[in-house]
Amino acid sequence: MSVADLVLVASPATTAAAGDVPPRRRGRQIVARIGSGLAVLVPIVFISSFITYSLGALSNSDPAATILGQDGATPQAVARMNRALGLNHPLVVQYWNWLVKAVHGNLGASYFTQVPVSTSISQRLPVDLSIAGLAVVLAILIGGSAGILAAVRRGGWFDRGVTLVCSAVSTLPAFVVGIILVVLFATTIKIFPANGYVGPTTSVPQWLEHIVLPGLALSLQVSADIARQLRTSLVGVLEQNYVVGATVRGLPRRRVLFRHALRNAAGPAITVLGYDFPLMLAGSVAAEAVFSLPGLGQLLLESAQTRDIPVVQGLLLVISSFVIVVNLVVNTTLNVLYRTNDGTSA
Amino acid sequence: MALNDLLLDDPSVATPAVRGIPTREDVLRIDDLHVSVHEGLATAVRGVSLRVGAGETVGLVGESGSGKTLTCRAALGLLPAGCRIDGGSVSFAGQDVTAASRRAWEAIHGSQVGAVFQDPASYLNPSLTVGAQLAEVLRVKGRLSRQQARRRALELFGDVGLHQPGRVFHQIPAELSGGMLQRAMVAIAISCGPRLLIADEATTALDVTIQAEVIDLLLDLRRRNGLAVMFVSHDLAVVAELCDRIYVFYAGQVVESGTVEEIVHRPRHPYTKALVRVASGGDFRRRHLEVIPGSPPQVGTYMAGCSFADRCRFALGPCCSGEVQSVVVGDQHEVRCARANDVELSEELLPV
Amino acid sequence: MSAAVNDVVARGRAGSVLRLRSARIALAVLAAIAVLAAFGPTLAPQGPLTLNTSSLFQGPSWHHLLGTDYLGRDVLSRLMAGTPLSVLTALEAVGIGMVLGIAPGIASTFLGRGFDFVANRVADALMTLPSIFFAVAVTAALGNGLVQAMVPIGVLLAPAYFRITRAATLEYSRAQYVEAAELMGASKFHLVTTHVVRKVFPNIVVTTASLTAGALLAVSFLTFLGIGVQPPEPTWGGVLSSDLDYLSQAPWAPFIPGALIAASVGALNALADAFRDRGGRGALALPQLAQITVRTGPTLEDANGSQRSVA
Repeated sequence: MSVADLVLVASPATTAAAGDVPPRRRGRQIVARIGSGLAVLVPIVFISSFITYSLGALSNSDPAATILGQDGATPQAVARMNRALGLNHPLVVQYWNWLVKAVHGNLGASYFTQVPVSTSISQRLPVDLSIAGLAVVLAILIGGSAGILAAVRRGGWFDRGVTLVCSAVSTLPAFVVGIILVVLFATTIKIFPANGYVGPTTSVPQWLEHIVLPGLALSLQVSADIARQLRTSLVGVLEQNYVVGATVRGLPRRRVLFRHALRNAAGPAITVLGYDFPLMLAGSVAAEAVFSLPGLGQLLLESAQTRDIPVVQGLLLVISSFVIVVNLVVNTTLNVLYRTNDGTSA
Repeated sequence: MALNDLLLDDPSVATPAVRGIPTREDVLRIDDLHVSVHEGLATAVRGVSLRVGAGETVGLVGESGSGKTLTCRAALGLLPAGCRIDGGSVSFAGQDVTAASRRAWEAIHGSQVGAVFQDPASYLNPSLTVGAQLAEVLRVKGRLSRQQARRRALELFGDVGLHQPGRVFHQIPAELSGGMLQRAMVAIAISCGPRLLIADEATTALDVTIQAEVIDLLLDLRRRNGLAVMFVSHDLAVVAELCDRIYVFYAGQVVESGTVEEIVHRPRHPYTKALVRVASGGDFRRRHLEVIPGSPPQVGTYMAGCSFADRCRFALGPCCSGEVQSVVVGDQHEVRCARANDVELSEELLPV
Repeated sequence: MSAAVNDVVARGRAGSVLRLRSARIALAVLAAIAVLAAFGPTLAPQGPLTLNTSSLFQGPSWHHLLGTDYLGRDVLSRLMAGTPLSVLTALEAVGIGMVLGIAPGIASTFLGRGFDFVANRVADALMTLPSIFFAVAVTAALGNGLVQAMVPIGVLLAPAYFRITRAATLEYSRAQYVEAAELMGASKFHLVTTHVVRKVFPNIVVTTASLTAGALLAVSFLTFLGIGVQPPEPTWGGVLSSDLDYLSQAPWAPFIPGALIAASVGALNALADAFRDRGGRGALALPQLAQITVRTGPTLEDANGSQRSVA
């Protein structure tokens, strides 16, 4: 169950367009849409990164004392350390410095291990990227096909089955699904490994083996959402007159379905994908726990426990940037596919 | 004229037919068609027979619910969910399509028959430009290259009377007026050189002036390319302006058919007479609100005998029992009336 | 709509919801859980902490209705005892969300475009933060407690309430009868608050049901990850997590807390659906009305099945 699923989607879009418009005009339209999308995003980036940064300020921990240890924490040493860490400036200045450095790739270093945060993150990022990437692909494939088939054979047993499965899946949290999968496929039937991770550089087949179960666990929720959304939109679209119009022109049925019906029905489903992405990220934390994967979620848990603030801040910044980028991609895709009457977003 | 030469495989059909006289095979032939609705609960089309000859314009007139639209849809293989052909046959140029497969229909649609409907905007994909949609048909069915399709599409738009084809090409349906959209629809419908265009209430939603333009366009296409048109409307005046022959529909049956001359000036069926009276009021340009008292029977609630009997002032005993057959009363003029040959009825003339 | 008519309609809606069988089942499940939340530890048949090393990993039996765990403790008792924490913290989060979301939602119509823009951007920004990540991050700052962890969850629920109340308020402030009433001297603020609260109430009910389901999931998730769990205190997620550790010895075990979580979440969702279906389409059509321009594009179905145009 998604946490904020009743919130209106803020994406611009829908309704018509995109066809053989003169390239210059189309190009300008797309740039304009991306521009206005960015204009909205910029404040969002600042606000979320500020919230992230101020978490550190909320904490009562005294990083200087922690780093220096019991013995070394004399007032002068602490004062010097604070200055070195930049902690003697007001919060907003600290935030700005941090942000500027972050944009250049410097996210600071762990309080304890002195390992640069960006290093820790980049070590673990491929794990999450692999799983999330696979999950997205699976979600589109499974959710997409299920949604299309259910709509085309509306009212049939497949349709009803899909609806039932979707409702059931919405109630199952990703981690429960993950556990079920582990129980089924790793412990009982032993097809896929139950834990661990092997990078693609080491061995591609093993890499695939290890990401299948976690990827599948993550994708199920999103697949269900996509399938349900696509089915509803597609059923609505297939009843429209323009499907009849396309048919009576003698266009082959597959073309009518994909080029005409699906093109108009896919918008909301794509929006769902962008929408569910943060949820999928949250689920990846579960997946990492269940499948013992050395990913960003584990890093977060560890550093949260030890109150290693720079790591936490860096992680949160990276994650929310990720989400913002994905949203931008989704919105751009929608803009490319559709436009409103006068070429502007609404 | 070059319009269809590029794409028609059978160039000999391009000769325009002499008005009213069918040449070669009929483009469309419907025999004793029965169509049921609501999963067989009721029959909405009861034994309709009609034909459209090459290059002819044929009109189907009747109120809503009279079965004319369903007949059209059946002829196009586009019956809505729950509707079925229960009997009779439909053929295009001799090819029986009553039980045709989806694949067979894909070949027929566009190439042999085209269609335009009442609300053109709703029959076009709102997300794509009209040019893209026309070009798509030309590429997929006509197998033209992208370039060729584009050029051809612009030509077609010009042929149907759109003033700035280049501009219209890049516009989406929402940006065009009803008249322009209908022209674009016609362009798309005839793009693959069909011999028959079915127009289902094509002018009903348009302004009177635009109506006239669209009608002129259809007449023009008939003249230039020998395009046969089956024009469905509830408006007898418009049909009379455009068509060579008319079929009058009532309660799922054809109650009268004949040339436009005969129907307009010498209607024999009481319903047709009433229609003509309502439509004219003197001449066809002015229509006042004359009402035929009563209303047509609901689909499925047909009584024995003539369906019009309860509203007909000439109804007698034999009208209310048994099936009423269609009787020939003149050259190409048939009437489904039990009293068709009664002198009293035939002398009923239009008020001046 | 006049106040009297609204009342009648509202009462009618509540009544009609109960006629749905799924709603009745859902309410029954939720009532049971509510009882457990209030009296769980006392109702547990056996001590949730009582070790019984002689009977580890037992399957269901008369003595232990749901079996025993890796320390011989009765699973049923542990789950019952763990209910209050899960339920109450979930409600805490939803409460925070309501408080933080509803007031700004109504206020943003009155406080000008600047406030509205900022409030919207803050709401958007909050939506980009994945909830669990954010919650875990907050524990780094505030300490490893479940109560602390649910605060950020609550904060992240606020945008939902914000959006709904804002949409309702916007629609109302532009309604013609509001203009008319204003002309007659009623203060806009007074009008809007009286009517908006009444009209947005069904939406809030539906939202709350769904978001409570989400919050419950979040609690289970967090306790599963070890946040806020002080062993040996039982929590739903904690039981699930330890079951995972001993999967080879008792492969059936995780299904039990899993089923419990799924049942409560499912019941809440079913209730939300029932309210949505029967609660009156007029009220729930608000999000559509909040959009001024006409769209001819596809419609978006949210996770509970009602349709709206994509914004």
